[in-house]
Amino acid sequence: MGNKMDKAIPAKTIKLWVESYSDSLYSWALYKTSEKETAEDLVQETFLAAFQSFEGFKGESNPKTWLWAILNNKIKDYHRKRFQSPIVNEQMQSEGPENTFFDSLFDGNDQWRKEQRPQAWPLPEEHVLDDIEFNKIMQHCMRELPDHWFSAVHLKYLEERKGEHICQELNISATNFWQILHRAKLQLRKCIELNWLK
Amino acid sequence: MKKLMRLVMLSCKKVTELIEKKSLVGLTWKEKIHFTMHRSMCNACSTYQKQSEFLDKILYQQNIAPFNENIKIIKNKELKERIISSL
Repeated sequence: MGNKMDKAIPAKTIKLWVESYSDSLYSWALYKTSEKETAEDLVQETFLAAFQSFEGFKGESNPKTWLWAILNNKIKDYHRKRFQSPIVNEQMQSEGPENTFFDSLFDGNDQWRKEQRPQAWPLPEEHVLDDIEFNKIMQHCMRELPDHWFSAVHLKYLEERKGEHICQELNISATNFWQILHRAKLQLRKCIELNWLK
Repeated sequence: MKKLMRLVMLSCKKVTELIEKKSLVGLTWKEKIHFTMHRSMCNACSTYQKQSEFLDKILYQQNIAPFNENIKIIKNKELKERIISSL
């Protein structure tokens, strides 16, 4: 009897949380993974984990903050797994498209091609995050990145810890990681320039 | 002269790569010198660095709470029902 009561209270609370927060958690997960099914699974797992470790939540923090922390960890795990998947590694090693990518930006001496040289942007940097149009373009450009670049970028910016730790966890060399970030950044920058500043 | 410069100077491709290394693990003193020297002479790379740092800032900011609340909410009623029935 006592046991039943113990389970009933968390279940009731969690149901209320699902009502209040599942849409915003789902929107966030979708934003971070760009995959509907993945986002749904991650949110479902988040509430399940919250239910199972309900005792760990003592009402000290905001339930929203707590759920968000669980979800963000799950998003990280997802990107970590995807980054390490064999398919992703194959993509990483196939040299063809990457050379073409660099060749489109740099000449034979690895200097900027004349037409590709970065020009200053007229940016209202302060409030750019409130700019709906900019956020749309940013999302679009993130989605345009190849899978492993996309995951690498998310892993870097979701982590508050130092780069070395991310690489250790991913079991890749730091060199490898910043080289991927380098390509991703070049492409992201180009995409934003083409779409936003046209 | 141009050839000599190329021997001493890093390429633009290398410099844009070092920008990522710098933010991930930091640069060695030798890299720092080459990097600073190149950047002071190359407008394109110093512009690139500014834009790269701008993107870093945005990507970090997108991961903190106030931004979470700014993203467009997409309703998913089926998911809500699925989770509730699974509890």
